[in-house]
Amino acid sequence: MFEELEDYRQKIREFALKEFTEDVAAEYDRKESYPDDLRRKSLSLGIVDMQNPAKVLIAIEELCRVDAGLGIALTTPYFGSEVIMLFGNDRQKEILNDVYSGKYILGLGVTEPSGGSDVAALKTTAKKQGNKYILNGSKMFITNGAIADYLVILARTSEDSNPHHGLSTFLLNTKSKGFSATKLEDKLGVRATNTAELQFNNIELSEDDLIGEEGKGFYYIMMFFNISRIYVAAQSIGIARGAFDKIKSYIKENNVKDEDSMFRLSDVGTRIEASRQMTYNAASYLFEFKPKPELTSMAKAYSSETAVYAAEEAMEILGDESLYESVQRIFRNAKIMEIWEGTSEIEKLVIARYILKGE
Amino acid sequence: MEEENNILRETVAEFCEKNLDEKKIETEGITEKLTELIASQGFLGSAVPDKYSGSGLDETSYEIILEEIAKYSPSVAMKIFILNSMYYPAVKGTSAEDTLNDASTGKISVAVDFINKAGSIESESGKAKGTLKNILGTDADKLVVFGDSTSIVSGPFKSDSRDFMGFRGLKFGDLHLDNSVQVLDKHSRMAEIMENSYGPASAIGLGMISGALQKAIDYTNVRKAFGNKLRDFEPVSFRLARFRAMESILRNSLYSRIDPYYTFNFAMEHLVEIARYSVNTHGGYGYFKDFGVEKFYRDAIVMKSIFYGTDELRKLTEHVYSEKINFV
Ligand SMILES: Cc1cc2nc3c(=O)[nH]c(=O)nc-3n(C[C@H](O)[C@H](O)[C@H](O)COP(=O)(O)OP(=O)(O)OC[C@H]3O[C@@H](n4cnc5c(N)ncnc54)[C@H](O)[C@@H]3O)c2cc1C
Repeated sequence: MFEELEDYRQKIREFALKEFTEDVAAEYDRKESYPDDLRRKSLSLGIVDMQNPAKVLIAIEELCRVDAGLGIALTTPYFGSEVIMLFGNDRQKEILNDVYSGKYILGLGVTEPSGGSDVAALKTTAKKQGNKYILNGSKMFITNGAIADYLVILARTSEDSNPHHGLSTFLLNTKSKGFSATKLEDKLGVRATNTAELQFNNIELSEDDLIGEEGKGFYYIMMFFNISRIYVAAQSIGIARGAFDKIKSYIKENNVKDEDSMFRLSDVGTRIEASRQMTYNAASYLFEFKPKPELTSMAKAYSSETAVYAAEEAMEILGDESLYESVQRIFRNAKIMEIWEGTSEIEKLVIARYILKGE
Repeated sequence: MEEENNILRETVAEFCEKNLDEKKIETEGITEKLTELIASQGFLGSAVPDKYSGSGLDETSYEIILEEIAKYSPSVAMKIFILNSMYYPAVKGTSAEDTLNDASTGKISVAVDFINKAGSIESESGKAKGTLKNILGTDADKLVVFGDSTSIVSGPFKSDSRDFMGFRGLKFGDLHLDNSVQVLDKHSRMAEIMENSYGPASAIGLGMISGALQKAIDYTNVRKAFGNKLRDFEPVSFRLARFRAMESILRNSLYSRIDPYYTFNFAMEHLVEIARYSVNTHGGYGYFKDFGVEKFYRDAIVMKSIFYGTDELRKLTEHVYSEKINFV
């Protein structure tokens, strides 16, 4: 499936090389601002095709290979869309069409100041009052938080002895009264992406804003993670390949021949290949609507650690040449891979649980 | 002796706690005022002899200062290191020795170029021309350049400073030379200077390890997930405990001067790993400047990348193979 899309891969590669020049990437990184002009350009060229999941993975990988800050900024306006696609009502799906067309930017808010790993412990509430829900609470580190038109929000709708029950997802219009977003600054990397803290102060939501069934939110989000973790694996492969590109050119340009460097080069190459195989394998189950969470988590954890490993290797192998900003940006961008959409520790817990379940 | 060292350690720690606001240093740089303050405490020229307005401290005291300062501000520690472990041995015993007076009191700042290896500058009738790339400390008044010979170039320099990931308290960028150059030594002193700096460089590494690790231990002691403190998850606390053991071994190895090659290798091998894990334990917060852990990760990789490469591994290997063989 992926081999058949070589032409498409080439098209994305050319776009990234043309648009994500060193000056442009450095500028957005320095300013820590969202590249809306590039987003519009990518839309007009049909760079991200949300109807074709294999193409989405290729686009993420090739864009992040050249610059992960810009690459992620261009591929996250749809973040959370799968929750609506799978469980949303007709009105929400109309909004989704406008997200796909680029009219709206979407985001998804799960993490809170008090925790992101323990999803079921979240404190934001959406209490039912008549035929309305009243949303109160806050969310932390939300990508697109300060630029999104709509946000998929996970909130507690009822207390239950099982904390996984009683959570629901809503589609929130960010123009709603009582909503505020504060942009968070001074991130280590992926600085072209927008990250914000959100406050919900007695926001009125209608029943029509509820996504799917009340009380099923936790499961919807876990289902979503089966998809988004594959995206992060693709981002990670892109970053690792970007680092690998730097290592290869350095070795060639400087005519490096020592065996130690050759071994390091081959280790990075091997890990990238393994990450790719694992990711495409996990994705193949997902594309048939039969996700295997343990394979997804293995791919996400392994690929993200590979991105960090490759970036650190690039810094070390290039030595003095790593003092240039383009290499450092790869290093700074890589670390987020091990944190978002479930830290490596959380992935390990998922993997272990499923391994034992299968016994 | 041990008591004296402990007192020194406490004094430096107290000074850092009070005066080194690393977030400010990272955005504003090491200001002249801060440099003067560090100099007034005798930390700036710690290892420079007192005849040149330094503190003339022994190696251990100097390394304690570097270690304690690096826990708070790797940038300030690096500034002190550049003067004491690179500039001072480069100008020692030469006609430029008296520049140490102003350097130790913070009146002038100094930088050392060990990256360009002077291939990119030409000197014509005592004038240095050309551009030196990637210099840490572009606001320098005096610059030592290592090439086939060791020379000193006097500022003022034209410079292009740019954003840099590591040691952000120091200005970084390219220096354009159009100045007088003085040859200090017909040989390059670089290799010898680098090797002699293993102890002090390890002390900075140790301070960074210690600073990053302490943040992780403190955070995992209060932050909760799944109803437990993070320290209650054994993969987390086991790892932090192992790192603390490594930190302690490194400190003992450094101050007992067992073997600088091994100490330096150990420090550089573990620095990045520990700084990275400190970011991990902080989850999303670790990725933001506010929590003061990502800077250790940035500084760690920069330190490892520029100080610890194939050359150092070769030196270590040579050292190992030159040891007396007893069993064969
Ligand atoms: C730039 C950025 C963008 C983000 N975008 C979004 C977004 O769009 N939407 C969203 O909802 N979230 C987003 N996040 C949040 C991200 O998903 C969380 O930061 C992440 O899930 C970790 O949660 P936390 O930060 O609360 O860390 P914590 O949950 O507090 O975890 C801290 C540390 O403890 C470890 N830990 C926790 N539990 C265990 C355990 N049982 N065993 C062992 N170790 C454990 C973790 O692995 C981690 O190392 C973003 C974060 C960043 C930095």
